[in-house]
Amino acid sequence: MAPNTPHMPLLELKHLRKFFATQKAVDDISLTIEKGQIFGLLGPNGAGKTTLIRMITGIFYPDEGEIIFDGKKFDPLKDIANIGYMPEERGLYKKMKIGEQTLYLAQLKGLSKADANVKIREWFAKFDMQSWWNKKVEDLSKGMSQKLQFVTTVLHEPKLIILDEPFSGLDPVNTNLIKDEIYQLAKKGATVIFSTHRMEQVEEICDHIALVNKGQKILDGTVKDIKQQFKENLFRVSFSDRILPEHLAIHLFEVKHKSDREITIKVDHGYTNNDVLDYFIHKGLPIESFNEILPSLNEIFIRLVEGTPNARQFQEVKS
Amino acid sequence: MNKILLIIKREYLTRVRKRTFIISTILFPLLYVGLIVGMSYIATKTNTNLRIAVIDSSGYFDRGRIERENLLDSSSILTLVTDDPGNVRSHLKENGFDGYLVIPAQLNWRAGTDANGILLYTTRTLGIEAISPVKAKLNNIWSSIKNEKLGIDENTRTVLQQSVISIHPQNINDTKADSGMATGIGYTAGFLIYLILLLYGSQVMMGVMEEKTNRIAEVIVSSVRPFQLMLGKIVGIGLVALTQFFLWVAFIFIIYNVTSASGGSTGAMASTIGGVQKLFGSINVSLIIFCFAFYLLAGFFFYASLYAAIGSSVNEDMREAQSLSFPITMLVIISIALMSAAIRDPSGPIAVWGSIIPFSSPIIMMARIPFGVPGTVPWWQLGLSMAVLILGFIFTTWLAGKIYRTGILMYGKKPTWKEMIKWAFRKN
Repeated sequence: MAPNTPHMPLLELKHLRKFFATQKAVDDISLTIEKGQIFGLLGPNGAGKTTLIRMITGIFYPDEGEIIFDGKKFDPLKDIANIGYMPEERGLYKKMKIGEQTLYLAQLKGLSKADANVKIREWFAKFDMQSWWNKKVEDLSKGMSQKLQFVTTVLHEPKLIILDEPFSGLDPVNTNLIKDEIYQLAKKGATVIFSTHRMEQVEEICDHIALVNKGQKILDGTVKDIKQQFKENLFRVSFSDRILPEHLAIHLFEVKHKSDREITIKVDHGYTNNDVLDYFIHKGLPIESFNEILPSLNEIFIRLVEGTPNARQFQEVKS
Repeated sequence: MNKILLIIKREYLTRVRKRTFIISTILFPLLYVGLIVGMSYIATKTNTNLRIAVIDSSGYFDRGRIERENLLDSSSILTLVTDDPGNVRSHLKENGFDGYLVIPAQLNWRAGTDANGILLYTTRTLGIEAISPVKAKLNNIWSSIKNEKLGIDENTRTVLQQSVISIHPQNINDTKADSGMATGIGYTAGFLIYLILLLYGSQVMMGVMEEKTNRIAEVIVSSVRPFQLMLGKIVGIGLVALTQFFLWVAFIFIIYNVTSASGGSTGAMASTIGGVQKLFGSINVSLIIFCFAFYLLAGFFFYASLYAAIGSSVNEDMREAQSLSFPITMLVIISIALMSAAIRDPSGPIAVWGSIIPFSSPIIMMARIPFGVPGTVPWWQLGLSMAVLILGFIFTTWLAGKIYRTGILMYGKKPTWKEMIKWAFRKN
């Protein structure tokens, strides 16, 4: 999280609801997103993420509830200029030249032609894209066009950047590139909403997350807090010596998994980490490492949506 | 507003700079002029020069008369032969004849031929148009034979032929109206609007599909309102249509002038100029031009919005788009079909109603106006028609905006008109 963030949230969503003919896409969701946060919006497909995002970007209007942007009621016509949105269904005019197209998109966001030109050159230089100016989008590979898409999203230095599955289809090199850029932008004060159903990416990047499912919010908190909330007191301890049966107590912990020099234990209620450490020290076993095993977000979410059709989707991703 | 201008500029420039635009702008006038020149050339070249042998058993037809006719019309040559039919028939080809006929001995100048007429024997099957000059020649000779037999002299014949009664219509409420000129202008104006609506209506539809095909719809719509995007596209494409139209007219004009200057068909030029002068005298040119511009623009917006609504709803499939847009295209075609009836009776019910209902008014009112305002088209009708059309395109643009707003973000099964209307009335 960036230092010196004044305590006025950039975005407040209050009891938003959006209905379509056949379903409640968003059913009473409230969120608060602070300036400079990298906020993860998570959930399976069909959870309502895209609808929620479209309300934040002014593409849809909520049926109920309100949106407060930077302290004022959200005004789509004006606030759009301060938002950059990279949708999941992303694309560019294939037959238009890249330089010209980036300029066009920047101007649509409200930048003057002169300003846009300056910024485009900066970003193109940063991403090593100068030679692309007169190429057509259809000449680019997928990775290249996603880099370009990212540039068009952040060019106008928006206060809020929304990225929907930004890494899908990217190779590791480009993924890292964009990840670094996200950190840089957040450091400079931009707020990033990062929407995905890939939990591994979220754990790395996001400070704060919210999980939605079937139009409702299920979790909301920092990654750390959520993991603490769902932890199961599991620990992995490894030793420099072989473990013998007499080293293992019964009342302090339950052994989940055991190998020669390593055990995975579930500590019983009421006992602390120090109790466990004391025990092994007492037994004379040289401890090499002692780590708490926190559940991955993926595991937490599966647990939460267990039994619903959506749960299967997570399990597929995990395997 | 600024954003709409940006979009208009982008839509216009991307299309006008495309190679296909430049090629079609130059090609069409060339094709058009080429077609006209080519057709007239072919017409002159393929005039069948029939050579017919005439065996006259009646005695009426003499060499002198026949030769005079041949000089007047050289598209066929009749040659009097004195031989029996059998011989002539078997030696047709060697003598260079395409056919022969036998004028029967019992032909009477009072009665003429019977219902069957004289058989014209030909070496190949000819169309009716080819043999009519032959028939005409024979009848010219027959006329002078009849005149001679009846004792009709030159003066009497002149009176008989040239003393006729012709009628020329003039509206007592509008003495300037010229129905001949008006019919011509009416047809041309109505047809031009029909052409532009049909051609560029579908251009708008395809243009609107561009954002969906490129999957950039959501990105654009997060920067501008969908309505702004739709309007920008309609106006941008409309401007391309206007540009191409003007370039075509200019090109055709230039090419025509060039060919006529070098070909020296000054006769045609002179008559066009004369016609134009007459035009300025008999009708209100500035009104016609103003109305043409109005109905073209208003009609374009009316139909273009409907086409835009359809384009935004389909999923990149041209056939889907065409089948959905069929009813709209039919409306335009029906209008042009009604135009003939309207021109035949410019004050009749079809003409009046057709020129007020916004679907057909661009074409039908434009066809009526050259007949005279306020003579044929009272001011109140013109005013009403314009007002209704303006309301009409405001309505279709609003409706299209609502459909467009939902349509461009929707990928999935092909929608029906019913579904599209439902989108229109969904809350924002």
